[in-house]
Amino acid sequence: MGRVEELPPGTHKVVVADGREIGVFNVGGRFYGLPNRCPHQGGPLCAGRRVTGTVVADGSTGWRPEWSLEDEVIACPWHGLEYHVPSGQCLAYPEIVLRRYPVEVRDGEVVVSLSRTSSRRPPAASDR
Amino acid sequence: MARTSLSDLLIVDADVHVHESPGALAPYCDGPWDVALRNVADVPERYLDIPGFSPGGDGTLTARFPTAHEATRMVHTPEQMVAELREIHVDLAVLFPDHLLKLPVLPQADYAAALARAYNAWLVDQWTSRHDALLGAIVACSQDPIDAAAEIERYADEPSIVAVYLPCAGLDPLWGHRMYDPIFDAAQNARLPVLLHAVTVTSPVFPFNNHGFDTEFARHSTSHTFSIISNLISMVSTGVVVRFPELRIGVTEAGISWMPFVCNRLDKEYLERRREVPFLKERPSTYLKRVYVATQPIEEPERLRDLVTLMELYDGEDTTIFASDWPHHDFDHPMKLNQVPFSEEQRRKVFGENALALFGIDRDGRRV
Repeated sequence: MGRVEELPPGTHKVVVADGREIGVFNVGGRFYGLPNRCPHQGGPLCAGRRVTGTVVADGSTGWRPEWSLEDEVIACPWHGLEYHVPSGQCLAYPEIVLRRYPVEVRDGEVVVSLSRTSSRRPPAASDR
Repeated sequence: MARTSLSDLLIVDADVHVHESPGALAPYCDGPWDVALRNVADVPERYLDIPGFSPGGDGTLTARFPTAHEATRMVHTPEQMVAELREIHVDLAVLFPDHLLKLPVLPQADYAAALARAYNAWLVDQWTSRHDALLGAIVACSQDPIDAAAEIERYADEPSIVAVYLPCAGLDPLWGHRMYDPIFDAAQNARLPVLLHAVTVTSPVFPFNNHGFDTEFARHSTSHTFSIISNLISMVSTGVVVRFPELRIGVTEAGISWMPFVCNRLDKEYLERRREVPFLKERPSTYLKRVYVATQPIEEPERLRDLVTLMELYDGEDTTIFASDWPHHDFDHPMKLNQVPFSEEQRRKVFGENALALFGIDRDGRRV
């Protein structure tokens, strides 16, 4: 999909592969691919301008909100539903986990594979 | 299969009212407030309307025409209560107050707390200790949450006390506010559920601008229901439902038909605004569906089958509980709910078994 220099850490872009729109993310040097389609109402969930952190809270934070998951969260531009990019986990609904496309760098080229990867859960606030 | 008759069902009534007069509470009340109670002991009372005790009946503002429906039915003794509940086939009943439904509107926190302590002591001494069928909900004083928590600890092991009553009429702020955390903490530790109960009180701050209504038709339909909706939304949006995971919550006197609406509305808002309620880990409705909902005043749609559908819309088979609200003007005889085409299992659960789980009691009313 392009040279690794074109996708520096903290950036992402949407590519089309085999008729599918896939958001490819560089999160701190690790690459992730997510479908550019929000399961909520079909919004272009990877088309948002910025990957950010988000607000979390649980017993470990004394139930106070904290900013966390910096540079790992994409929000669908249509309705704001948030997803943890590395795991594909929807932050609002535990049962929703996005399909994830493996992305790797071969000889300086970013390569998206159309197969599925195993799941990785997002870190809870208590894990930090 | 023949429908189970009311006399063959275990019927637990989650909302029944005793009549506490100022004079009756005076001997149980700390000074100097006992003096004030004796001072209004002989004031003629209208329905839930005694100056300095249960102030501001909405009916005091509007024209009073003669009627046979005077809404003055009261229960003064445990013997009267047991006999009347037997008439409507109730086996176990949870007692709430009459006048103290309006406790939150009293501006003097010390007075309100003293009234709550007096009522709780009177309730156990004069009612719940007098008959096995009579169980009690002690009232929590919203104006003094620390004192309310101490009261909950005091009655934590009282066998006849099965709930903590959270009054909603005129409450400000709503029950989700962190100032009330000591109450939830104490109730959770005491393994006592909290039951929210509203009554018609209209004031500019609470909870919507329904003080402009000029009929009881409008006030009564909105006050109870809006109060419960607002308080539950408050308790979800401030995280009470996740911060006190073992706390059992029940709501009374709002019917059931609003519940699917609130579940769906909050789920919709959550989708876009999760960041504002980051402590929620699932749809808000997941937490709402754990709240027990008392049936009275049960809606009476033309197709009674709609009530089953409404209950199913909030997955309420295990959380819907019968309440009569006896002896109030809008009480429900259980015959109406028994006309609803529930499955026999749903019928048993709604009339009694769900309430046993909520109150943590066995079929004889003993705390388990």
